[in-house]
Amino acid sequence: MRAQLDSRKVFQTANYTFLIGISLLCILPFIHVLAISLSSKTAAAAGSVLFWPVGFTFKSYDYVLSKPAFVDALLITLKRVGLGTLINMFLTILIAYPLAKEVRDFKYRTAYAWYFVLTILFSGGLIPTYMIVNKTYLMDTIWALIIPGAVPVFNVILLLNFFRGLPRELEEASFVDGAGHWTVLWRILVPLSAPALATIVLFTIVGHWNSWFDGLIFMNRPENYPLQSYLQTVIIQQDLLRVASQSLDSLAEVSERTSKAAQIFMGALPILLVYPFLQKYFIKGIVLGSVKE
Amino acid sequence: MRSKRIKEMPLHLMLLPGAILVLIYCYGPMFGIIMAFQNFKPAFGFFRSEWVGFGNFTYISDLPSTFQVLYNTVYIALMKIVAGLVVPIGIAILLNEIGKTFIKRSIQTLIYLPHFLSWIILGGILIDVLSPSSGIVNRVLEGIGLPSVYFLGDNRWFPFTVVVTDLWKEFGFATIVYLAALTSINPNLYEAAIVDGANRWKQTWHITLPGMMPIIVLLTTLSLGNILNAGFDQIFNMYSPQVFESGDIIDTFVYRLGLVDAQFGPATAVGLFKSIVSLAFISVSYLLAYRLANYRIF
Amino acid sequence: MARWKQIMLVQLAATVMLVTACSSNSNEGNNGGSSTDETGKFDPPITVTAIRDQPSSMAFKEGEDFENNNYTKAYLEELGVKVKYNWIVPEDQFEAKLNIAISSGDLPDVFRVNASQLKQLVDAGMLADLTDVYEKYGSELTKKSIEMGQLAKASATFDGKLMALPPDEDYDGRLSFLWVRTDWLNKLNLQPPKTFQELENVMRAFKTQDPDGNGKADTYGIALTKDLYGNGVGVSSGVFSAFHAYPGIWIEGADGKLVNGSIQPEVKAALAKLQEWYKEGLIDREFGVKDSNKVGEDFTAGKVGVNFGALWNSLWPLQDSVTNNAQADWGVWPLVSADGQPAKNSVNIEFDRFTVANKKMKNPEALIQLFNLDNEKLFSGNADATKFHSEVVGDKTYEHFFERVVMDAGSNPVGGNFGHYKKVTAALDANDPAGLNPEQKGYYDKIVSFNGGDRAGWGTLRVFGHDSSYKVIEEMYKDKTQSLEISKFYGAPTKTMVEKKATLEKMQLETFTKIILGASLDTFDKFVEDWKSLGGDQMTTEVNDWYATNK
Repeated sequence: MRAQLDSRKVFQTANYTFLIGISLLCILPFIHVLAISLSSKTAAAAGSVLFWPVGFTFKSYDYVLSKPAFVDALLITLKRVGLGTLINMFLTILIAYPLAKEVRDFKYRTAYAWYFVLTILFSGGLIPTYMIVNKTYLMDTIWALIIPGAVPVFNVILLLNFFRGLPRELEEASFVDGAGHWTVLWRILVPLSAPALATIVLFTIVGHWNSWFDGLIFMNRPENYPLQSYLQTVIIQQDLLRVASQSLDSLAEVSERTSKAAQIFMGALPILLVYPFLQKYFIKGIVLGSVKE
Repeated sequence: MRSKRIKEMPLHLMLLPGAILVLIYCYGPMFGIIMAFQNFKPAFGFFRSEWVGFGNFTYISDLPSTFQVLYNTVYIALMKIVAGLVVPIGIAILLNEIGKTFIKRSIQTLIYLPHFLSWIILGGILIDVLSPSSGIVNRVLEGIGLPSVYFLGDNRWFPFTVVVTDLWKEFGFATIVYLAALTSINPNLYEAAIVDGANRWKQTWHITLPGMMPIIVLLTTLSLGNILNAGFDQIFNMYSPQVFESGDIIDTFVYRLGLVDAQFGPATAVGLFKSIVSLAFISVSYLLAYRLANYRIF
Repeated sequence: MARWKQIMLVQLAATVMLVTACSSNSNEGNNGGSSTDETGKFDPPITVTAIRDQPSSMAFKEGEDFENNNYTKAYLEELGVKVKYNWIVPEDQFEAKLNIAISSGDLPDVFRVNASQLKQLVDAGMLADLTDVYEKYGSELTKKSIEMGQLAKASATFDGKLMALPPDEDYDGRLSFLWVRTDWLNKLNLQPPKTFQELENVMRAFKTQDPDGNGKADTYGIALTKDLYGNGVGVSSGVFSAFHAYPGIWIEGADGKLVNGSIQPEVKAALAKLQEWYKEGLIDREFGVKDSNKVGEDFTAGKVGVNFGALWNSLWPLQDSVTNNAQADWGVWPLVSADGQPAKNSVNIEFDRFTVANKKMKNPEALIQLFNLDNEKLFSGNADATKFHSEVVGDKTYEHFFERVVMDAGSNPVGGNFGHYKKVTAALDANDPAGLNPEQKGYYDKIVSFNGGDRAGWGTLRVFGHDSSYKVIEEMYKDKTQSLEISKFYGAPTKTMVEKKATLEKMQLETFTKIILGASLDTFDKFVEDWKSLGGDQMTTEVNDWYATNK
């Protein structure tokens, strides 16, 4: 018994160390980039920055925030996240409700379900999509980033599974009282689905925040890019877009590396701030969505 | 009969806006699939381009990179699927052993942080930390006397870098699902096992793992549908021509062939091939999930 | 009943959103009723739509942008033409965006295309015939600029009709030169390399003997970009030429037939050398991800001192390294050979940039007039270089010539840069700038200011002064065909080229990169086989058919 307790202790210590180590592995890269973004150009270039800024300075942030391109892109993204999430959620709820019905209640349920699900599997590709976005006059507007993906089928599936898991009796009682589908959906199902909806809202916000490809394709000028598309051109294509090299040199404290680090960090910041608060809900929601009893 | 119709009508109406949008923006573009059978020239459009039957498919199968690309896709996707199953299950079991709720929750919060960030952000971070000349990872390697490694530029390393970084992004999130399955295992089973004198290891083997089995089987079968999805967003933002040999996958190949080289016909043909194979795998996994785990996806 | 109303309202809201999205975007101008008066000005003004790529190094003056700058003001005031850009994208994405736009028929009035796109659009009858408007509206300078390049004009002419404004035919800009840090040479007691072996010694010394004297082994031997042969900075063509290999151009084989330079055995030898250098660390380990901007930063940071690049390299990117470092200086020399045979500079005259007018454009003459105005503002007696060429304010340079609508069309009608070089050096010798035109005077002044200690004038000195790239041209390359290997094919792209060339070029770049990184040299033989079977043989046949009639 004693030996068992000892080995248990050894295991626990090892386990704590290991898991804490793993957690550090997940955040240290972010801290490193944050440290670089707050360090002086020379320190960053000399490679002396680890997890704490060397030659502490806010110059990189000053520089990035003084670039209209970054701020504009941020505002476009905020607008996109707001409008996009609203429309996505509305359509998700509206579609999930009928599809959650059993065939005996709604004859065409399965046909509709396949109609939506097939779009996950097949797509026409970029060029025809571009043509349609263009022909429907969405090109170069914020709607080009929202309308083509207005129906997030994956989220619909999550929500319809959640709806199905709710006790049927409540619904049936309301129908007996004379309530219609609309009332049942908004007065009964939606309030009961708070965890699932919070999860889906989080997914949707994150999805809109993180999208970049559609911005590159559907926007007609760099000024209209949402943040991630803008960052893609700046960080990944290693293109000093609209950052003439001369203007960088004139800011003695900022280098490409530190300004990139600042932009990376600011691109991630809103998500870093939001997700821990939604954690309580979405842990419940994701589990309910994927592990249906 | 009549009352039944009236009851269904609002349901149709609820579906209508979504159905119309999907019709326009998802089904509308599908006519583009005909490009796979055309010598599509942008200036001629869909109606005046020459029809070539399966010519594009023949051309693709002659291209030397096609099979390499297919191989890379399956190789990377399979490694991702396996790693994406094994690691989260292991971490979930270990995490379940942590008694202090605060620590357990904090670890959870930290490990799924990368899941929420885009590959633009993560790509930017990884390009910086993995750089052979200035990246922190290589400085650590050199510090302990190992040679520096060009993770994103060396064909021997690139696929593994892709798999490991993808795991880094996603394992925390998958862990949550398994952890939930763990907590729903009936505690009485463990008590009975302790009475029988089973140690922790035996409890894990005989109770925990079997208790998680349904969800493991389910997620395994469902992940089969991803056999040709090696991750466009990730690879597009991390690769470069020097690692095309080991890192070019179907989606990036289609992108370059179609949009950069303007070979629309062959690019669409590859895309169509991928869709059909994926459909087959998804149908099989749907059936398996239904048979093995009694799970209906939708 | 109430329930129904709610659902209807919701549906209405969804529809309204779509409708507003539609109406906000339908503002295409109608140019139907406009005509030009005797001064050539449109009244009322017309709107000409265009598209643009934005070079990453380009900067606008405060308050200016593509649609509001010195050029657009002149277009509107003098021509009655308002320029509107349908889209503007970063350089990298221009091709992709244009391909999508062409395939969805969403084209502006005037735009730039490559040779394949030109051929397709001509075949599809989507372009305006410019023959008549060019004859009728083309100014003297415009005509001179186009007629100077008869080969280029021929490549824009289909069935006797001029379908596009052709690019510059002058090949000076396509030559490669050897640029070496002379302050490093001096410091290490080395001579400027005259042979390939000497060059290798210099590279090794630059890598191993700490030429910048900072006590760290942070230098490497030679600059190379991921494009290997594009973009004019850090190109590999100097190495290929040393081995008499000419990838990318059509050369005459032993039997008098044309063969493609990319698949000749000499290429293999050059690749073996590059591979050896990479292994030895003379080439940057990360070259495969570096574009010319990135390599430019390495010059500035003093990491590398040998570069094969175009004649303008001193203006950009080398200027920064000289500005940032009080000792730095680069010299420019002709290419060197690995054996007794002189090295030839490879000249690709496949024309690949054309400016075209949409067939639907109401006033295609506007394209010619825009081009007239560009020429007038840049090259005529009324030229104003600071307003229309480039302007230096403090430490910033605004390159106004990027703001033109018609980029890359025609040759420089006033003798081009070589003429400037002759005039500027003559004026320097005589110490008298009289007789220089405004552009030449600008170069002269910069060189004089450099001699007076202003290092910002260095780049100009190395292009237009003594000991400059044009001096190398004068001595080695001007009209000296024995030191040039000029592509023998300059026709419109053949059918197979339109379809397959881009993919073959990609394959080539990937294979060459792979070999430099250490893949077996046999990979090259495999590449040659693949190249032939995937359209290369067909291209060769088509090119020889063309050659038979155009020799």
